[in-house]
Parts: sequence; structure tokens; C-alpha cells
Amino acid sequence: MLEALGIAALTLAALSAGFLIALVARRGALAREERRRAELEARLRPLALALVAGDDVELPELEADERAMLAEAIGRLSRRVTGDARRRVAAYFAGTTAFDAELRALRDRRAWRRATAAYRLGDMACGDATPALLDALADRDADVRAAAARSLGRLGAGEASGALVEALVASSVPRAIAFRAILDVGRDALRDVRRLAADPDPALRAAAVELLGWLGDASDDALLIDAVDDPSAEVRARAAAALGRLASADGAEALTRALDDRVYFVRLHAARALGHVGERDAVPRLLRQAREDRFESARAAADAVARVDPDALLEAAASSDAGPHLHEAADLLRV
Amino acid sequence: MSVSHSPPLVLVADDDPDILDLVRYRLERSGYAVATASDGAEAVRLAGELGPALAVVDVMMPSLNGFEVTRRLREAPETARIPVILLTAKAQEADVQQGFDAGADDYIRKPFSPRELSARVQAVLGRR
Repeated sequence: MLEALGIAALTLAALSAGFLIALVARRGALAREERRRAELEARLRPLALALVAGDDVELPELEADERAMLAEAIGRLSRRVTGDARRRVAAYFAGTTAFDAELRALRDRRAWRRATAAYRLGDMACGDATPALLDALADRDADVRAAAARSLGRLGAGEASGALVEALVASSVPRAIAFRAILDVGRDALRDVRRLAADPDPALRAAAVELLGWLGDASDDALLIDAVDDPSAEVRARAAAALGRLASADGAEALTRALDDRVYFVRLHAARALGHVGERDAVPRLLRQAREDRFESARAAADAVARVDPDALLEAAASSDAGPHLHEAADLLRV
Repeated sequence: MSVSHSPPLVLVADDDPDILDLVRYRLERSGYAVATASDGAEAVRLAGELGPALAVVDVMMPSLNGFEVTRRLREAPETARIPVILLTAKAQEADVQQGFDAGADDYIRKPFSPRELSARVQAVLGRR
């Protein structure tokens, strides 16, 4: 019995020692690989910089692992640049095996590989990836959809803007990523965004109206002014905010009217917008709103008066029925 | 910190090594010498020590942000006249205005075009 226990203990000790040796060897191999990659990256870094930010360079003959490392380095630098540098990145990757491999990987059965491919395709800056990334926007995996949305934005893919707005509204892509992607697409997204501002779905209308505040211009005033009378309170509120962001003087009348809206957050955004527009004719109505019971909209109105007409605020705050919001705004103004 | 010698000297401050390398590469190719700092405090110190012809400063940096770096450069007599270009990911009007209020001469939005950056540096130096 004791002999058997001794043999078992020796066997366990031998196994443990073997396991430890294997771990040490593995760690050593990983460290060597890391050093090799770092050396390779340091050697290829000047070439990557020259390709992205420099003048025309002749590409030397590279081994497969060097090409992979160079592609990785250029992809990382690509996230930092725009304009001619992005065009240089696109020219480098167009038609390469690295680009084709990432396109194929969008159909990989492993979600992490599809997500990585979707992300890398945005860094590669080739517009040819747009159709495949649009398909990836409907992927069953959330990470793949998010990476595809981000990359479509980085590619400035105007044709993707409708799908990105729909993804934003359906929450199939996190709001911050979808919103940022549409802003990255920029004015090329405007045609789709304007079309969606008249969509029967109020959620789509609300998202489109909000985006118009960021991407639009004075030519969108009429559309946004109409949206201040939309049946959906969410659309009315976002239209008011958008008019404020565009500092639309033409929208002042509609915004003043919106101070009578039955929904407090429409009144809140209308008050803030009037503050941005600087509409002095709205001051009496804003002062009335600053005395109402609803905290958020009253506070916004008091702040708006402080911006538009500080003297009127100080005078109103001196009256006996001023209320806490006018007092607070006046105190802040004095400070 | 690293310095390459050939005038005029441009100080570049950013905590992102990729951006530091890209800006340094482009500016050196355009004929400038470049000194780099990886945070705001180092940028202020190097500006005092090296007296660069111009500083390119990221807004979002550890220790001191770009607005504070600009303010400190403007406060010290030996660095008060160094032109500053801010690199900002926040292109909102309020942030840009804050940069100009702090004393910046120009700003560039990130992601940026290295060639445009080089042209802006040349334009700002030409104005002085």
C-alpha cells in the first residue's frame, strides 16, 4: 500500500515537473516570438510611415510575415489619418492578398474573425469593401455589426448612410458607434438622412432630424421647422435641438411656439435652442417658462434668458415671484 | 524625449506614439527639425528649454491638456511668442473657441492629413 502511494506521489511529482518545464518552454517561445515581432515592426515602421505620410516610395521585396506585419502597421496608422494619406493606404491595399483575405474572412464561421475582418477592412480604406461591409451590418453577431458600422464610417461610404440610420434606430449597432459612423460619412449621408426625416416611422424621423442638426445646413431649416410640429414629441424635441445647433434664425418663431408644447422635454429643447439662436422676442415667454413647476424646462428657460438678455434676467430675478431658477441663473450671471 | 537637429524646430506633443511618428515623419520630410513630448508637462518644459519655432499640441493629453499647455506657454515671457497649432479630436465649436481663447494660432482636427498639417505649419510660420 505504502509502495503504491510512493509510486503515485513520484508520478505526480514527475508530471508536475514536466508541466512546469513545458510552461517555461512555452513562455520562452512566446517571449522570443514577441521579440521577433517587435524587431520586425521596428524595421518596417519607417516603410509604413513613408507609405502613409510620405512621398512615393518603391516597395521592396518582402517575405510573407513581413508583408503581414507591414499591413498591420499601415492599418494602425490609417486610423489616425485622413485625406491624401487615406488614399495612399487604399492604393497600397487595393487588390492585395491581404485585402482579399479580409473580405473572405467576413464569411468565416468564427464571429471574432468576422469582426476582426470588418474592423481591418475599414483601416484598409478601400471603397470596394463597402458592399461586403453592408452585408456584415446584418450579421448575427453584435461585434461584427459594430465593426462593420465603424468601418463604413471610416470609408465615408455615402451609400451606407440609410442602413446606418436604420441600424441606429433598431439598436442593432450601439448608438455611439452608429452615430459616429454617420458623422464620419459626413455630407454624403445627407441625401438619405433628409429622406428618412419624412419616413412614416417616428423613430427613424427622430434620428434623421437629430442628425440634420449635426450634418445639415441652412437649407434644412424648412424641414426642421416643419418637424417642430411633428405628431411625435421625440421628433419635435430633436427638431428643436437641431434648429438650435444650426443657430437657425428662421426657426425662432417655431421654437417660440414650441415653448407652449404640452410635453416638457420639447419645451426644454426649444428653450435651449432659443438661447443658441439668441431670440430676444422670446424672452417674455422664456421668463414665464422659467417660473413653471417642471424643473428641467424651467431651468433651461432661465439659462436661455441669461444668454439672450442678461439685463432682463436680472430684472425678473428681482421680482417677488421670480422662483428658484431665475434666482439661480441670476446668481451665476453675477458670478 | 528625442530631438533631431536642423532648424526650424517644431515641438510636437501627443500621447499617441502613432501620431507622434506620423507628424514627425511628415515635418522632417518637409524640412523641419522635430522635438517630441508625450505629455503636456514635458511639452511646457521642452518649449522653455528648446525655444521651438512652433508647437503642435494635442488637446487631450495626460498631466496637462493642450489648452493648459497653450495658456502656460503664453504666460511665460520666453515662450509667449511661440505659435501653437492644436490637434483636436473634438471639432465642436466650443472646443475650438476654447483653444483660440487660450492663445492657439490654428487647429487641426484628428484624424488628420499629414500634408495638410505640414501646409498649416508652413502657413503659421509664414505669418510670423
